[in-house]
Amino acid sequence: MEISPTEAEQALDAIQSMVKKTRRAVASSGSYIFLVVWGVIWLIGFTCSQFLADPLVGKIWAVLNILGAVLSAVIGIRMNRGVRNTSVSPLLGQRLGLFWLLLWLFCAAAIAVIWPPEPKQLAMIIILFVMTGWIAMSLLLSMTSTWWGIAFAALALAAYFLVPDYFYLIMAVLGGGGMIALGFYIRSRW
Amino acid sequence: MPELNETIHQPIRLRIMAALVTLKQDEELDFSTLRKLLDVTDGNLGAHLRKLEEAGYIAVNKTFVERKPRTYVAVTPAGRKVFDQHVAALKAILNSK
Repeated sequence: MEISPTEAEQALDAIQSMVKKTRRAVASSGSYIFLVVWGVIWLIGFTCSQFLADPLVGKIWAVLNILGAVLSAVIGIRMNRGVRNTSVSPLLGQRLGLFWLLLWLFCAAAIAVIWPPEPKQLAMIIILFVMTGWIAMSLLLSMTSTWWGIAFAALALAAYFLVPDYFYLIMAVLGGGGMIALGFYIRSRW
Repeated sequence: MPELNETIHQPIRLRIMAALVTLKQDEELDFSTLRKLLDVTDGNLGAHLRKLEEAGYIAVNKTFVERKPRTYVAVTPAGRKVFDQHVAALKAILNSK
């Protein structure tokens, strides 16, 4: 079989384009949406925490968290990627769902133990539990963002203990903004 | 010098193989997802998959998910190898220009 260099170039272009399309559609690029959604929620929520009064901030966070949970559930269900991993148990999805449910219950229990918490304590506890979940998912599923999870947790702790007056602002800009940037970085890399 | 593979070189089969080699070794792609990616009809895709399966380049796995029939397609180690050789041959032709 013989073909011209032009035909070879066209075939290689077709391969490249298909590889890119497949990666975008079915590979792990879907996870970037979660980062962007929760990055936007953190950006809005923590900015409000920094500049607005307490009763209003509580309501804003409640709305944002419900919105985030609903969006995450919808994205998670729609993200049925059409890919099956034969070396992974079909029950993995249910186990991961159970893990997150238990993590949230433990988070609620930790908050109940220290009740009534200071608003910053409450934020810090939730951040630590979210980062625990993030790191666990990363260790179990891909390893790609483990260090980012550790970095975000370290950033939150540093801001909490070293610059408490600007804790919310730092979490909004570097935490929320960082998650959005990381989300778009993952998307562009794929 | 690596040689071109006639079975793989057909445009739709080339794109099928490109999609499948993108997945990790233990992963399989659902038939309908593959069809959407390629923008072809069920019959057309089925015919090309049969050719690739007969050549031993892909494995077709028919199963049930939540009581509904689902077909998954994966590239075999032999398929991955010949695809890599085919790509190498294409690059060699392009470089000889």
